[in-house]
Amino acid sequence: MALNDPGGADADAEEPPSMLWGLDPVFSAYSRLYITDILQMKESRQVPGVYFYKNHPFFQVDVLGTVVYKREREDFYCYGVDDSTGVINCLCWKDEKWRDQGEPTKCTSSTLRRDPSGSSRGFNIEDELKRLKEAERQSTELEIGDLLRIRGTVKTSRDAREIKATCFYKVSDPVMAVQISHMLEMPRLYRKCYDEPFQMPSDDLGGTEAGGSSHFHYLLSRSVLTLKEFLLEKEVARFRPYDVEFLLHPLIQTSSAEQESDQHRTSLATQIRKLLKETLSVLQDEGQIFRKMRTQDEVYNVTEQDKDLHTAIKDILREDTKREKYAEKGCHVLHILSSMRQRYSQNLSREVLEVALTFLECKSDIISTTEAHYIVL
Amino acid sequence: MLPLPAAFYFPWEINIDLVKDGASVRTFGRLTSYVPEESKAVLSCQQSSAQCHVSVQTSLVEPFQPILGAQYFVLGEIEKTDGLGGVTLHARALTCVDGVDLALMQQAIVEQRRFFEEREKLMNVQAPRCESPHT
Repeated sequence: MALNDPGGADADAEEPPSMLWGLDPVFSAYSRLYITDILQMKESRQVPGVYFYKNHPFFQVDVLGTVVYKREREDFYCYGVDDSTGVINCLCWKDEKWRDQGEPTKCTSSTLRRDPSGSSRGFNIEDELKRLKEAERQSTELEIGDLLRIRGTVKTSRDAREIKATCFYKVSDPVMAVQISHMLEMPRLYRKCYDEPFQMPSDDLGGTEAGGSSHFHYLLSRSVLTLKEFLLEKEVARFRPYDVEFLLHPLIQTSSAEQESDQHRTSLATQIRKLLKETLSVLQDEGQIFRKMRTQDEVYNVTEQDKDLHTAIKDILREDTKREKYAEKGCHVLHILSSMRQRYSQNLSREVLEVALTFLECKSDIISTTEAHYIVL
Repeated sequence: MLPLPAAFYFPWEINIDLVKDGASVRTFGRLTSYVPEESKAVLSCQQSSAQCHVSVQTSLVEPFQPILGAQYFVLGEIEKTDGLGGVTLHARALTCVDGVDLALMQQAIVEQRRFFEEREKLMNVQAPRCESPHT
């Protein structure tokens, strides 16, 4: 049997360590596997009761199949289930509450006693409860040929694999729709999940560099947000980097408290400087801030607060819409950009202009006639 | 103790040598005749303008409510009798599934077969000395 094992074609493949099994989503799910695979998957050497198919760990399964064998005892049913790829024994324990049921027929007839007019004589909860229990019980009593769905754990007892059911019921499938959709679904599941190798995340976590960069990105997003909020709240029109550096201090301090000791090697000041530089770069790319003049003095203008910028834009629009060329449709963004570059600042980027235009439009100072054309009101 | 798994076969595949004697199969067809005294039923199926019939021995699944003309799903063992080219399916399970979407069922069976064929090819590539499990 080991030779034909589809789940472990590479017989020397090492099992992933048991600590990581929980990271594989199929491990916690009642996985839908073909019975032939359930019968052939190898038991784990680390933890008995867990089985491997292509280095995915399984211990809970969900099968749908025809009952081809039945054995009933006082406490349990043993159904042999055939899904056309294999047959497996399923141990289905009877629920204790059904044992004290009494004659099942009595329950159903009593609840049928209703008014001749058709309305029931009140809602008799005891009778309804009995009917519910009876329906539940009947859904677990199957005959050969019935369709059974089982969810349970895989066990090996006396060299035979079986499923110990945690939940089982007869499936009503009068036009075989359930079986057909199951047959169509299974290959897709295999191709998407079970046949894909289990990616062990230990490769990602390895190395402080990899771990560090994701942490840095987190810090960066927080600092960008912090700065934006500050600039908005204080209505800052212009600033220099050291004016806003203080905002980043609490971020670095909380992070260094959580991080590994090798982060302490780089001094706090260097970290802050690096974070500030990246934050300003992100904000510039977004168009939220800009440098009007590239001088040694690092001054940043805040797009939405820069009154001169807004006035310049409105002036351009006002003047140009008087010209016949732009009168009806308005000025295109690129036209405004080139005018602004001549008039206001050579370093103006399209992103900054678009942020400013959107801001002015929200204030109803200008209107966009198309997605890229603007006129002044 | 447990019977062998019954793989899905199309009715037109039963009568030819595709299926071995004694194999467990699942198939389907329209109930066109039923003789309760002999426990014999016939399931028929249309395949590209030809009718094919499967003889079914129904002793194990009686009594059942026969609905002539309805679609049935049957699971059982093949017995190849000599002479008249007769192949009998000894039914262990016989269920009326009238209303089944035959085209979709055919698609599902083909899809499942294709998956296992691909898998077998992959296995043979990885371990060429292994015997095919379907022989």
